[in-house]
Amino acid sequence: MSLLLLLGPLVMAVSALAMHLHPPARAHWHLRLPELASLVALAAGALAALDLVVSGPSTGALLGVGPIGVSARIDLVSVAMTLTVAFVGWVVLRFSRVALDGETRQPAFMGWMAATIAGVLLLVGAGNAVQLAVGWVATGATLHRLLLFYPDRPRARRAARKKALSGLVASAALLIAVGLLVGGMGTSDIATINAMAQAGDGPGLLWLVALMLALAAIFKSALVPTHGWLTEVMEAPTPVSALLHAGVVNAGGFLLIRFADVLVAAPGVLAVLALVGGFSALLGAAVALTQPAVKTALAWSTCAQMGFMVLQCGLALFPLALLHIVAHSLYKAHAFLASGDAVREVAKIRRPGPVAVPNLLAVARSFGLALALYFVVGLAFGITSKPPQTIALGAILIFGVVYLIAQGLADLAPRALTWRTVGLSIMATIAYFALQQGATLAAAGTLPAPPPPDGLIWATIVLALGSFALAAVAQTTFPLWAGHPATAGLRVHLMNGLYINAVSDRLMGRWTPKTGAEQ
Amino acid sequence: MNGHISWNGQVLELFAAAEQAMRQVPPAFPLEATVAVNPWLGQVEEDRVIAAARMARAGGGRMVLPRDTVAAMIETGEVTQADLSDAAAAHGLSAADLRRAATQPASPRPALWTVAELAQDETGVDWPAFVEERISHWAAAQFDRGQAFWPAPATGAWVSWRAYASRDLTSGLAGLSGFAERVQALPTDARAAFAEACAALDLSDRAAPLYFHRLLVTLSGWAQYARHLSWTAERDGGRDTTLFELLTIRLQWEAALMDQGGAARRRAWAALMDDYARPVEPDADLLLDLALQEAVDRSGERRLADTLSDGTAPAPAEQPAIQAALCIDVRSERLRRSLETVDPAIATIGFAGFFGLPIRHRAHASDTVEARAPVLLSPGIDTRSSTSVREDTSARVRLRTIRAWGRFKRAAVSAFAFVEAAGPVYVGKLLRDALGFAGASGDEAAPSLDMPLAQRIGSAEGILRAMSLTDGFSRLVLVCGHGASVTNAPHASALQCGACGGFAGDVNARLLAALLNEDAVRAGLGDKGITIPTDTRFVAGLHDTVSDEVRLFDDALPDSHRPELVRLRTALAQAAALTRTERARALPRGAADSLAQRGRDWSELRPEWGLAGCSGFIAAPRARTTGRDLGGRVFLHDYDWRQDRDAATLELILTAPVVVASWIALQYHGSAVAPDSFGAGNKLLHNVVGGIGVLEGNGGTLRPGLPWQSVHDGEQLGHVPSRLVVAVDAPEEMILRVLDKHPKVRALFDNGWLTLVALDDAGTIGRRYRDGAWEDRNLPAARVSVAA
Repeated sequence: MSLLLLLGPLVMAVSALAMHLHPPARAHWHLRLPELASLVALAAGALAALDLVVSGPSTGALLGVGPIGVSARIDLVSVAMTLTVAFVGWVVLRFSRVALDGETRQPAFMGWMAATIAGVLLLVGAGNAVQLAVGWVATGATLHRLLLFYPDRPRARRAARKKALSGLVASAALLIAVGLLVGGMGTSDIATINAMAQAGDGPGLLWLVALMLALAAIFKSALVPTHGWLTEVMEAPTPVSALLHAGVVNAGGFLLIRFADVLVAAPGVLAVLALVGGFSALLGAAVALTQPAVKTALAWSTCAQMGFMVLQCGLALFPLALLHIVAHSLYKAHAFLASGDAVREVAKIRRPGPVAVPNLLAVARSFGLALALYFVVGLAFGITSKPPQTIALGAILIFGVVYLIAQGLADLAPRALTWRTVGLSIMATIAYFALQQGATLAAAGTLPAPPPPDGLIWATIVLALGSFALAAVAQTTFPLWAGHPATAGLRVHLMNGLYINAVSDRLMGRWTPKTGAEQ
Repeated sequence: MNGHISWNGQVLELFAAAEQAMRQVPPAFPLEATVAVNPWLGQVEEDRVIAAARMARAGGGRMVLPRDTVAAMIETGEVTQADLSDAAAAHGLSAADLRRAATQPASPRPALWTVAELAQDETGVDWPAFVEERISHWAAAQFDRGQAFWPAPATGAWVSWRAYASRDLTSGLAGLSGFAERVQALPTDARAAFAEACAALDLSDRAAPLYFHRLLVTLSGWAQYARHLSWTAERDGGRDTTLFELLTIRLQWEAALMDQGGAARRRAWAALMDDYARPVEPDADLLLDLALQEAVDRSGERRLADTLSDGTAPAPAEQPAIQAALCIDVRSERLRRSLETVDPAIATIGFAGFFGLPIRHRAHASDTVEARAPVLLSPGIDTRSSTSVREDTSARVRLRTIRAWGRFKRAAVSAFAFVEAAGPVYVGKLLRDALGFAGASGDEAAPSLDMPLAQRIGSAEGILRAMSLTDGFSRLVLVCGHGASVTNAPHASALQCGACGGFAGDVNARLLAALLNEDAVRAGLGDKGITIPTDTRFVAGLHDTVSDEVRLFDDALPDSHRPELVRLRTALAQAAALTRTERARALPRGAADSLAQRGRDWSELRPEWGLAGCSGFIAAPRARTTGRDLGGRVFLHDYDWRQDRDAATLELILTAPVVVASWIALQYHGSAVAPDSFGAGNKLLHNVVGGIGVLEGNGGTLRPGLPWQSVHDGEQLGHVPSRLVVAVDAPEEMILRVLDKHPKVRALFDNGWLTLVALDDAGTIGRRYRDGAWEDRNLPAARVSVAA
């Protein structure tokens, strides 16, 4: 059973190779090969899950020389990620088979898609750090080919170049981290590394390893201010965006979760992650609100969601971060693939009449109701025995529910609508707690529990709670102030993503005068 | 507003030039309910050759097929030697020259430069792309109909742009420092700002019209969308200044880039203005391009003539058991032919699919008013789905709950909660959509018409006369609209009924069937000389053009008509199968049994071909065309000139359905030959913006027209542009009389946008209209032109 999780990347890679060596004719059934390979990967993932349930976490033998080679880790993290990636991979490959029909380079496209998925599967199922690094770099390289599927598009080239630069930093940081780990600990086995870090047997430079891992994750997951490429890569066919946002961009978060024990040993790095993540989450979400193009809005939302996931890592809530990655992947893959429905959706929104605007009183009542809901449902789930990080995160999510309730409490909202939004809020809260509880229980023993809070952690918690509470109030009272002339400037700056991309365009020489240039 | 400002003569000339330039821009309708528009609508009043030259200079793209495509058609024999000689003669060229030209590359015809291009040439910085990106960034939010959660303030374009651009720091970062401050200092009145920019550019009134046109072309879809606002406003007797404000905005960039440059740029600009001021004239090379297209047009005309003269038409059945009226849409042709084949006792009728009822419809639980009528008409009849207030309210609460959940999903802080609480649900949604299991939406309640009886009778009479259906009613008459069930398609409305304003035709068909079943209306019709037998019943239907199934709305049909209904159902089912077999051959990966599934497949970019291939319009009794395979390429409008004593019906046909058909044919033409100017680009890269249109990829301007996949099958064009041939079965003088009354319609034929031919008594294509007279089609055109 120990080789199960290597089967997925293998068959995906074989199918990719088949596409390159024997490009199928248009509409030939061979174009289904990558899709079938992803089903094999999915089945292997399911068997691995069974194995995990029956015999617990394990790492297969390393096939290779010294610390270098392939080995598969079977635990909650690798199995959950494998299942997610294989499933999303199947969906996007199936989509591509039909959507790209008639493109002369469809076989190449299917091949690079399969290769990218192979890379991600190799990465998430890795039992050793070297394999993980290989998967990491391979994913970036194959994705690059997909981003340049239409190489004549200047905007595609610009975005791919930004992504390549970002990928370079991320890869360099990861290679340094892996080098330090293998050099310092004498092993590349991930489970051993985590166990040693947990026991305090790490090398002296463990903080540097953690910092490099954090750096790699920030660049790979496109957190602000390294997000430029992510919000500009709608220049490749829709399935690429779906795969990228659902399967590739969260590799950064996966890395943090994979080396959770290493990170817990470096509290300073965790605090940095919480700050960078939280900032990305709030900025990305605010920018997404102002975007009138559907894919652009979705891309900014990914930037925000990745930020939120990294914030969870920063609070050492690794099981929740894993849950977030999986849930977000599923949601975002669907959102991108179905983005053609946006015309209909926008028309549908206008149909039942104007949106009722809650006044300040209604907002205050919603906050009260949401907190009461949190308290009641939380008690049922035994919240009092949870670490403060978990409680704080729950509160942040409840701030979101406030918005749902407030919509039903607006003066002009009919009573029936009020009841329904309250009902939805209760369901959402229960679902959230149940999933959170489930993830935490399932991850016990695999992922470290959050450390007891010290001053730094308390500061992080208070800062996160405060800023998200402020954002929630702003969000809920939004219609009351968004039209005010004083906010017009803020809107313009947010629409432009606070010009971070304009600055990076300038640094990359887009606006530099070229003498004698002509095109 | 600002009525106190008085303008000097020079500025007034420039205003006139702007007006002239804005009329060159065709309207683009929002995708929510889009209809085909002739992309050269602004040029129809000049000859096609001049228009092509104008568009080339303005950067509006080519107007004709590329030469290598025509060369390939000559190679395969699709375009014959005779077609070439005819076309050459019509353009005063020799056939040999023309044939040679097909194999030689056309000389490039670059657009005239703007100041942005001058600046680019001088500095190497891509200023045209920068200006396009900045204006698009603002315009996307300005014209957003509900995509962004935090919308732009609802103000006019100029005020909104001024507020935006005076705060936007991007231009400073890109090296055009001081632009925001410059905008801040601009007048609040767009006209004053326009005059200022023109003064800064020293713009001469002779250069202005073409220069303004060129600037509007750089704004592509945004200008066309703004033009739709003014076009619709003018149609309804109003006025809209958005397009003028857009032009003013584009001018500000020109003025800023002019001031950024030095004396050299000013000198270059002065020379450039002379180019703009020169009259538009085609060169010899362009003439060859046009003549080659003419050869393709002639080949299309020849093929239609061959089809119509091929063999003898079967005699029409005595009294049909069932009559079926379908839309003139070319997709109906296949179904009509199949229906008549499987049951010869069914007679079909072609009529514009809104069935003469230009309605403003409100669907169940909806505040949105849908203009289900050809866009040429201002819809004047209010209709709504008739449901009880209680049903309406509860449906609204349900829709608003869904909306509240949708807002929860997208709002800033709640999006995180949404993902953690509901993300796993998407396993199910992904499975459902990947496997194409999404269910169809339920039936909408029957629509009701709120109109006084006299008006109802008047409408019914007008419609029946326009259909040439005033006697010989069968016991059962089907009134059938059409629509396309597709999913995940931004351009879904382009596949719906154009005569219904980009909606499906079910509502209009149901309204007409109900109207004609009303006893009071029938009594009134009897007084006007139209007697509908008491045992005649009308039933409405909807033809799904993806699956070719017809759904019947037969709730109100009495039991006495069950036998006819069963017969109709059987025939429709068989006809659908026949049609699918024929249609599957033309579709990539097409198989007759999987066509319906294509509409449910979220990854299918070619669910059906829409009206691709359309190339003819025939106004004649159906007997003229029965049994002939027109390949789903011809609009068929029933018309009997013997019943049309004052030519009123012919007038209606030539001014409305023919114009709509020409808009459709020319839209397909434009999207096929000038995809960069009049095509929506690659569906794989579509990024829906504002709920109104698409961007291709990450930015650029709004892309109007049809996507590349809608006109190209991946290997070759799915729509080979060939001029629409309008064939009318009526005496030649009668047609000329109508044309003389309508100079704008006549211009379409005189200027080479459409071909007009008369059907002769044998039912084949007779003589061709040319500049107010008729010429024999087979005579060498050169001799005819000398004679004329």
